[in-house]
Amino acid sequence: MDALQLLNTHVKLLAFDFLTLKPIPHEPTSFCRKGKRLSRAETVGIVVSRDFKPNRFLKFDIDDGTGCIPCVLWLNQETSRHFSRRCPSDVRLISQMATEFSSLVQLGVIARVRGRITSFRGNLQITVSDVVIERDPNSQILHWLDCLRLARNCYDKVAIAPKA
Amino acid sequence: MATIASGALVTLEELLPSSPHFKHGISLRVTGKLQDYDVETAIAVIVDRNASLKVDTQHLNLNLRIGSIIQFIGELLLEPDHEAVLKARVGRNIDGMDLNLYRQSLQLLRDFQAGR
Repeated sequence: MDALQLLNTHVKLLAFDFLTLKPIPHEPTSFCRKGKRLSRAETVGIVVSRDFKPNRFLKFDIDDGTGCIPCVLWLNQETSRHFSRRCPSDVRLISQMATEFSSLVQLGVIARVRGRITSFRGNLQITVSDVVIERDPNSQILHWLDCLRLARNCYDKVAIAPKA
Repeated sequence: MATIASGALVTLEELLPSSPHFKHGISLRVTGKLQDYDVETAIAVIVDRNASLKVDTQHLNLNLRIGSIIQFIGELLLEPDHEAVLKARVGRNIDGMDLNLYRQSLQLLRDFQAGR
């Protein structure tokens, strides 16, 4: 798997690893890990904080045992100018889905969260696009092992440029 | 929203006075079988192999059943007699978790972190 393919992949990173990603100058949507550009991430952990502002956002922290990843789930799709050019029925669906996700994220649940890697006031976070609540009590362990395997066998591999 | 401290992963057997995790106020994630629960004080006792820990559950809204495997995240409080109590802020029932897999994976995770 080359560096180009990782850019739009939801990379499974442990929190201690995620929190060391470096911003790339002039590329606000990409972050650097060991020389590779990343833009999306997936995490699994226990929801340990919840700050809910109706119709604005839900901020929460995911603790995976190696660190806490701040997450933000936007709930302002129907009033945000960012969505004003999109089809109203699509925006309504996105908004409904975000509202549903926000009700699932409760203190103590194990959540699998996917989204864009972003930075707010210099702190890394995930801008959430998907939330799944894990019912299997082993899901946290399996995520750790996935992260270890992927880091060693995929993410840490140095990309070799194809020969001309 | 203030940054929340991550609960360091420890087994109850590792939580000895000589452990670097045996400090007042440190955030921990602990796992054990619920052995006892006092409704009046909301103090639970969890056990794992030969070790046990008291957990203050007064801030939790959790259905505690004796014999269940429970995981808590919270801050360790050391009382004057050096007895440790975890003041839990999060708790979850994890009946069905493979505890042997958990212990083995925890070691792999630590080795991985140490190698970074």
